[in-house]
Amino acid sequence: LVVENEATMPGSDKETDLTERIEAFLSDLKRGGSGTGPLRGSAETARETTALLRRITAQARWSSAGDLMEIIRKEGRRMTAAQPSETTVGNMIRRVLKIIREEYARSRGSSEETDQQESLHKLLTSGGLSEENFRQHFAALKANVIEAINELLTELEGTTDNIAMQALEHIHSNEVIMTIGRSRTVEAFLKDAARKRKFHVIVAECAPFCQGHEMATSLSKAGIETTVITDAAIFAVMSRVNKVIIGTQTVLANGGLRAVNGTHTLALAAKHHSTPLIVCAPMFKLSPQFPNEEDTFHKFVSPHEVLPFTEGEILSKVNVHCPVFDYVPPELITLFISNIGGHAPSYIYRLMSELYHPEDHEL
Amino acid sequence: DDNQMKDPDMASAVAAIRTLLEFLKRDKGETILGLRESLTSATDCLTGVDSSVAVSSGGELFLRFISLTSLEHQDLSRCKKVMEERGELFLEKISMSRAKVAKLCHTFIKDGAKILTHSYSRVVLRVLEKAAAEKKRFSVYVTESQPDAAGRQMAEALRKLNVPVTVVLDAAVGYVLEKVDLVIVGAEGVVESGGIINKIGTYQMAVCSKAHNKPFYVVAESFKFVRLYPLNQQDVPDKFKYKADTLKTVQNLSEEHPMIDYTPPSLITLLFTDLGVLTPSAVSDELIKLYL
Repeated sequence: LVVENEATMPGSDKETDLTERIEAFLSDLKRGGSGTGPLRGSAETARETTALLRRITAQARWSSAGDLMEIIRKEGRRMTAAQPSETTVGNMIRRVLKIIREEYARSRGSSEETDQQESLHKLLTSGGLSEENFRQHFAALKANVIEAINELLTELEGTTDNIAMQALEHIHSNEVIMTIGRSRTVEAFLKDAARKRKFHVIVAECAPFCQGHEMATSLSKAGIETTVITDAAIFAVMSRVNKVIIGTQTVLANGGLRAVNGTHTLALAAKHHSTPLIVCAPMFKLSPQFPNEEDTFHKFVSPHEVLPFTEGEILSKVNVHCPVFDYVPPELITLFISNIGGHAPSYIYRLMSELYHPEDHEL
Repeated sequence: DDNQMKDPDMASAVAAIRTLLEFLKRDKGETILGLRESLTSATDCLTGVDSSVAVSSGGELFLRFISLTSLEHQDLSRCKKVMEERGELFLEKISMSRAKVAKLCHTFIKDGAKILTHSYSRVVLRVLEKAAAEKKRFSVYVTESQPDAAGRQMAEALRKLNVPVTVVLDAAVGYVLEKVDLVIVGAEGVVESGGIINKIGTYQMAVCSKAHNKPFYVVAESFKFVRLYPLNQQDVPDKFKYKADTLKTVQNLSEEHPMIDYTPPSLITLLFTDLGVLTPSAVSDELIKLYL
């Protein structure tokens, strides 16, 4: 049971407190998005979003599931608009919306399967154009939803460990593993395997932010033999690599990735040498977006890292871009390792249908 | 047949289902089994007139619908009433499916895109209509699609929408692909593996777009899903490949030109259906859910 300190405060204070927290979260999102500031890991963002949604459920005024979903959707739209490239926010909102739908269906007594996805079966057998408007009021709904969100939070906390636990199955002794940039998930993955196996890691530095350097320092502190290479050397070194293990920012609905720039190069080099490409991505990174919308897809940051402002004369004659992300098509990926196990990229659609309801794909 | 002539915009599967529903209403049988038998013979009759995949899939879907409904109600008269109601509802729902597909697909068409399509497909037309309505600027290349030159019909329809369109020879697909950004085709049938059956020339287009690394999108309504699993072109039954009249009159089929071909799922990027945007591997899942 969640004990809210604010339960003793009168209603209107609760509301202002809630709005304050939401505003604080939004401004945090907007600020924390730049590539150079202290990068918050996606796991923290996911946890904070879910905690905030739990707070909204507990404190906002709503009488039926429909109202709650409207409130969450409204806040959700604001949150995703604050930082479109941070997809974990949207994902968590959709998870919570699905939780609400499930709890509502359970309270109503109907089986969970009936109101789910569109299917040919449903087309043929349903009685009427079902208008599921979630208007019924259930007293226990609030407690149930909060409990389910707590379960979600526990799951979120265990994701990195769950993924790291699978490391020993995939990494064998005396292997050469390649990775790019810095991913906390991959770091934990490799460190877990290092407890029992001896292997070598090659880290591509991932210019211009060179997060690969920090990754290499951290790994070598754990006793793993590490080498740092420039991005240009990826193809040259690939012939000696046994496996490529990377993290990602988002997993798209077609099984593709939105990962740090340079990942597509790495993936193509791996495909050319038939080296397996393993992606360690927890389930909260799975997003129902498809790689089509140009505006929400890319993020560009200050080109200062690429061509510093001190270069003076050249600046007026060239266009400089510094994109943050890369798209990797699903054909280049061998395996996804998530907290619920390993999957092929062609299976992503199935995981999507289990996590999110199709009507929530657009908030 | 009558239905199709009344409304040329209706898909042949929908026309088939509507006909079968009419048949159901007029049926005077006493048993479910008798009903099934008469419906099966009606479907055969329909395929005897128009042997396309769509009619076959529509008929099979309707039969499945009958069996599912009959399992729920024992009494025949009540059963028939429920069937008629559900049948009307089903027809209503699938009449909205093209709109759903168009809504999903038009976001994949970017401003300034050059699209390649094949032959005449009402669903693709609907998608392009929606994209044009959203004020997107794009141009279209349509293959002529012999032997019936259906591509010209498509070009006419697109000109009415003020979309710049060019008709190209079927043989010019490889030539034109370097200029094109994406390929969108319709489907007469979607098979269990996630591949499609469509007008002859589609397979060629798919192979070429794979070679040029261009996305190959398929738009199809869900009632076109059919329980076939062809492994190659030969596996597609003859009754789909040739027109019904050809099958009846001609002795040696090897001299005839097939009207359709099979495109395997490995060449398809995404399928847009009224059930959502599906990867080819998700199609068999959908079919299993229906026929379980």
